[in-house]
Formats: sequence, structure tokens, C-alpha cells
Amino acid sequence: MSTEHATAKAATHTQDHGLSEKGLKAGSVGLIGAVVIGVSCIAPAYTLTAALGPTVSEVGVHLPAIFLVGFIPMLLVAFGYRELNNAMPDAGTSFTWASRAFGPWLGWMGGWGLIAATIIVLSNLAAVAVDFFYLMLAQLFGNPDLADLTTNLPLNIATTLVFIALACWISYRGMETTKTVQYVLVAFQLLVLGWFAVAAFSHVANGTAFDATAIAPDWFNPFAVESFSAFAAGVSLSIFIYWGWDVTLTMNEETKNPEKTPGRAATVTVLVIVIIYMTVALATLAFAGIGTEGLGAGNPDNQGSIFAVLAGPVMGPFAILMSLAILSSSAASLQSTFVSPARTLLSMGHYKALPHKFGKISPSYKSPSYATIASAVAAAVFYVVTRTLSENALWDTITALGMMICFYYGITALACVWFFRAEAFRGARSFFFKFLAPLLGGVILLVMFVKTAYDSMDPEYGSGSSIGGLGLVFILGMGVILLGVVLMLVMAKLRPEFFKGQVLTRGN
Amino acid sequence: MRYVVGYSANARGRDAVNLAVSLARGRGASLDLVVAIPDAGPFNAAHAPAAGYDNYLHQQAAEWLDEALALIPADVPAKAHVRSGESDAQTLIEACEEFQADMLIIGATSNGLFKRFTVGSVASALLHAATVPVALAPHGYHRREALTRVSCGLGNRAGAEELLDFAVSMAVNREVPLRVVSLLTLDAGDSDVAADAARDYAQKHLAAALPADASGAAPAAKADVVVAQGRSVEEAVDRLDWEDGEVLLIGSSRLARSRSIFLGSTANRILRALPVPMIVVPSDYELKHLTHSTSNDTSREAQA
Repeated sequence: MSTEHATAKAATHTQDHGLSEKGLKAGSVGLIGAVVIGVSCIAPAYTLTAALGPTVSEVGVHLPAIFLVGFIPMLLVAFGYRELNNAMPDAGTSFTWASRAFGPWLGWMGGWGLIAATIIVLSNLAAVAVDFFYLMLAQLFGNPDLADLTTNLPLNIATTLVFIALACWISYRGMETTKTVQYVLVAFQLLVLGWFAVAAFSHVANGTAFDATAIAPDWFNPFAVESFSAFAAGVSLSIFIYWGWDVTLTMNEETKNPEKTPGRAATVTVLVIVIIYMTVALATLAFAGIGTEGLGAGNPDNQGSIFAVLAGPVMGPFAILMSLAILSSSAASLQSTFVSPARTLLSMGHYKALPHKFGKISPSYKSPSYATIASAVAAAVFYVVTRTLSENALWDTITALGMMICFYYGITALACVWFFRAEAFRGARSFFFKFLAPLLGGVILLVMFVKTAYDSMDPEYGSGSSIGGLGLVFILGMGVILLGVVLMLVMAKLRPEFFKGQVLTRGN
Repeated sequence: MRYVVGYSANARGRDAVNLAVSLARGRGASLDLVVAIPDAGPFNAAHAPAAGYDNYLHQQAAEWLDEALALIPADVPAKAHVRSGESDAQTLIEACEEFQADMLIIGATSNGLFKRFTVGSVASALLHAATVPVALAPHGYHRREALTRVSCGLGNRAGAEELLDFAVSMAVNREVPLRVVSLLTLDAGDSDVAADAARDYAQKHLAAALPADASGAAPAAKADVVVAQGRSVEEAVDRLDWEDGEVLLIGSSRLARSRSIFLGSTANRILRALPVPMIVVPSDYELKHLTHSTSNDTSREAQA
């Protein structure tokens, strides 16, 4: 003891930086676990109810074809995403990678695109959860009037803000969905979606369907989509339905067999998802047709949230299960999705691309405190604006979201191509995964982005809401990107280090 | 002697550091500051992979620990560690095992909106599972000098002997007086009779616990027995006088698994009213520890 007392302060106070065991506990996730994670990231019950209607309005009966084709750019981009994640694992993902490849300006916009997309999906998730919350109350108490409460604008906005605030609080507290909860949620979602499909087909078989439509091979032909505009819009929407799948590819240390599990999990996940999407898409079309009247999938009134309308007629008294499945999965996604924009904002704060306070971590909960709250405020503001301006906020947000995902995924994929350009031709594997696949994927997505953005200027686009002769989707999408440009210029004035390339350097 | 300090970069963490410095100074102990960070759960599905956030957390934790080390005076040896686990409480318990700590020191209060002294969730989880004594720093604790008195709260249930043994040796080792405190609520019948009974009970156990030989006579003379009464436990605690440099030792409730802590409802209420730090000692802690510590060359808190 006495020797310790005598030693100098410098020697007595040390930190064992080296000894801190980093990272995830290795080997905790097996194949099934990884598939569950993948499916829960995609949240099929939520994506279907949100995207099925808008996609039908674009491509009609060719919905199955577009759902299949939409996977291709996602797959190509995800390969590049995986390469970047392996080379530069960072919480800032697209922001960091694009900054390293293209420098600060494009990097900033890549990060902004990711943040905007996740903020938009947060507000949409909350809104869908609220719809099904009231629908479930109606089903529970056998009082259809309760379901209509969601159309009461002030009440709807208030409830949605409460949902956002709750999810933000849970995320701020660092609470996470546990394994068991996730297994149950995923199994329940798949079961209910399967039930919906079987019930819809048996209505068709019994002749009790709303508008029984015979399935035709033509539905699977993407080239039969009438125009390139419709095709582009459809693909950018179906990017949304696979969004989250890339997470399975980027899992590494947490899997039991990092060599094989991520690849297998990604394959199984996409098979499960494609099967469920095809079955439900076919069941919906076969049962309801694409008519614009009544229960038809082409009816604009149904397109914001198709299962809210169809679950009752198709599943009868068991429709409450659908409400429960969508409410639970969108609530779980709402809470976990907060992590994405919050971490990217944190990373941008950390690299001096945003004010310092965005880089704050809560001492008690170890979550990105300021960034999480900022995300919630942004999602709330976005929802209030969209809800007030649009005739069909859900529909328009999903279309704008598809556009935003194309934007930042496109940048990310090209960042991969550019970052690895020196090693692109070192063997077949490098050529395909670091060059060809991301290049193709990135170009496809950016083309979809430009085309959709151009088309959405039409005031009739999407739900048909417009301001000053411009479609609302265009105003939302471009407005968000322009806002990003303005904020970026302000930041470049306030904290120039990052924009001079002094914080994140280009290249290796 | 090693004490693990559960540190967080806020007022609660600073309370803990102050108490740790105070406790270490009276005993020549070294401190291990631990920042617990959560393991990223892979099942928290998100649209972006979790990879990389961990690096920020570790970097931030290291900065916090540097700030914390700067708070510790030069005469107290201290090391800092980042540890991760499923929950903060679990991580701290594992750190105690890793460093073979003799005590775990934490800030007790959360920033409760409704109660001034709410036991924080980490603290309360620790109080249900820790296997070493847990010292709880009250809100705003800023004293850093060595202790001036050790109080030992005595109930009338089994386990008093072990707790008193622990308290006596702690007072002897730190060369400070010992005070044995019985807290009585008035609904326990005739107050004078109850007070006398409590005093007899405390004195009987104290006599058994004090060292019998002549060399131990000095601390024995300083041991004091007090009975505090009030309408509630809180009031009884309020009526006692407390020195600034005092701590109160409490045994964990009988519900505890052997060698772990379970804070009884009475102890919980004491904590809310107490102006000085409280150290909660696991049931059977000292006895087991004495038999196991023979292989250990460092002197243990409870060892005379």
C-alpha cells in the first residue's frame, strides 16, 4: 500500500484502453436468428400495407413483376454496401463512405439522404401504426366509428405525435427489442399474412371475392408495364419494400459462422420475403382486382393502407389479427428505426459535419441523445406538414420515401465503385462485387430517382395533391433535398473543417 | 483493497467518485472506475447496420473516464476501464468479480421527477443481485475526506451477527468510532419497553462481536448504541444526528440468496431519508469472505 501512496499521480491514474473488450459477443446469432433479423428489418406486414396500393396505382396488375424486378437493384447495391461495410464499419454508413469516396459535399448529401429517408419512414410508420391502432379499437369494441377517428385531422396528428414521442423515448432510453419478442413478432406477421392470402384465395374459389380476377402470366412480365414512368415509379416503390434486407448481408461477428451465415441468411430471407410478397400480392389482386371502386386495389381511398380496408372483408372477424400484426410490427420498427437517423446524425456531429451537440451520447443510457430527439422532432414536423398539405399523406410519403431511398442508395453504390476503383480489376470477385454490381445498381437507382422526380412534378402524380401546379411528391422530395443543400452550406460556413476535407479524408 | 466505482458522466457518477475517494482514503484502497456500455443487441432491427456505433461508444467512454480520473486526487490510486454487457448492473457485477473488488460504489439517485431521492434503476438492480457490499452515494455527495464514523443499522432478524462483525472490523480498520443504530417505529407498542428491548438486543450482539482481548479494547470503548424512534422509519432516521463523514451499514434482507443483496422495504425507506451514504452488505457476506480470503494477500474490508 505504502508504495502506491508514494507514486506520482500520472502513474497511479491509468486507463486500460487495450483491455476493453469491444464489439458484439461473437457467435450469438444462428441462421434462423439472422433470418428473423432480416425479416423484422423489412417488416413485411407494414411495407405491404404501405406500398401495395401506391404500386398498384402505378403498374396495375403487373405488381408481381415489379416486386420481382425491384429486388434486382437492391441486390446489386447491397453487394456494394457489404464491401463498404467490411472496409469501413462506421455508424455513419452512407455519410462516411460517400465522404471517403467523393469528398465532403457529396458525402454530406449522402448522409442527408439517409437521414431524410429514415425520418420519412418514421413518420409513415407512426401514421400506419395510428391507423391500425384505431382500427383495432374499432374491431375490439365492435364499433366501426372508432376506426374513423383516424380521419379526424387534429386527433390523428396528436396520436401520431404521441406514438413518435413514445418511440423516441424508448430509443433514447436505449431499450432494445429482445430476441424472443422479435421471434414472436416475425412469426406472427408471417402467419397473419399467410392467413390473409389463404382467406383471399378461398373467397375467390367460393365466388365471394369482391372482384375475382384470374391470375395471368402477363402479371409477371415487367415489360408489359405500359410506360417507363410507371415502371420507374414502381421500381422505386419496390426498393422500399426490400429496404432493410441489406442488414442481413452486413452481419458478421454476431453470427455463429461469419463465413457462411450472413450469405445464407440473406438468401433465405429474400426467399421468404419474395414468397410472402408474391402470395399476398396475387391474393390481393385476385380478390379485389385493380378497379377504382369499392374494395378495388386501384381505389385511391384504399391505397394509403390497403390492409386497413381489405382485412375485414377477407378475414372476417379475424381481421383484428391483421391489425395487431401491423400495429405491433410497425411499433417495433418505429422504435428501432430511430436508431438509424440518430446514429448517422451522431456520426455527422462527430466528424464535425453538423453542430457538436449532435455527437452527444447520453451518459446514463449511452444512446445518441441529441440526435435521437432531433430525429423525433424532424419526423413529427414532416408528418404534420405532409398531413396538412396532402389529401393522402401516407401514399405521398411512401412515394417520396421511395425516391429518397433511390437517391442515397444510388450515391452509396457509386461511392463503392469509386472508393474501390483501384482494386476493381483485381480478380473476378472484386470486379463483380466492388465494381460491376454496385455500378449497375447505383446507375439504375439514380435513373429511377431522376425519372420519378421529373414525373412527380405533374400535379396528378401520387395521390394528386399539388401546390402551385407542382406535384406534392416532387415538392416533398426536392424540398427535403434542397433543405439539405441549404443546411450543408450553412454548416460549411459554421464549421468549415469538415468541408475542407480535414476531418474525413478521401481514399484509403 | 480494490473498490469498483460504477461511473457515469453525470452528477450521479461524480457523487460515486467522491464517496469512493472518501472510502479509499480511510483504508488505502485503490479504485477501479468502470463505465458500463450496453452490448448492441442484434435483434433490435434497424435500417442501418450497428457496426461502428460501438467505436463511438468506446471512444466516448474513454473520454468520460479521463475526465473522471482527473477528479481523483493523487493520493488515491485509480484505474479506469470500459466494460460492456447486457445491462449496466450485470456489467458492474462482472467487473467486481474480474477485479476481485471488496466493494462496489455507485451514485444511488436518479434524477427522479417526483421524489427527491429515488433509487436509480441501475442501483436498484444492483441492490438485488450484487455479491459484494454496495456503497450508495446520496444525491450531491461532495465529501472526499476519510470517514469519521461508521454506523450500523440493526434489525432484530437473523444475520445481525455477521453484519455487526463486518461493522466492527470496518470501524477498527479505519480507526473510527462505531455506532449501532436501532430504528423503531412507534406502532411497535409501548415505546419505552420497545426501545429498551432494542437496546438490550443491540448491546448483546455488540458485546459478542467486539474483539474480546485487551488489544481490541480501544475501539470497544468507542462503540455506542442508539435507539431512534419515529412514526415512520424516515422520521426515525431524521431524528438521529448524522456526522458529515459518516456511513450507515445495512444488511440485506432475508429474501436474498446467500451472498447476494436484497434490499428490504425498510432499508429502501431508510435510503430515501438518509443524508449520508449507505453501504448494503450481502447476507452471509463476511463469513464466507473470511474463509475464502486466506489465499488473498490483500487485506479485506471485513478483516481485522
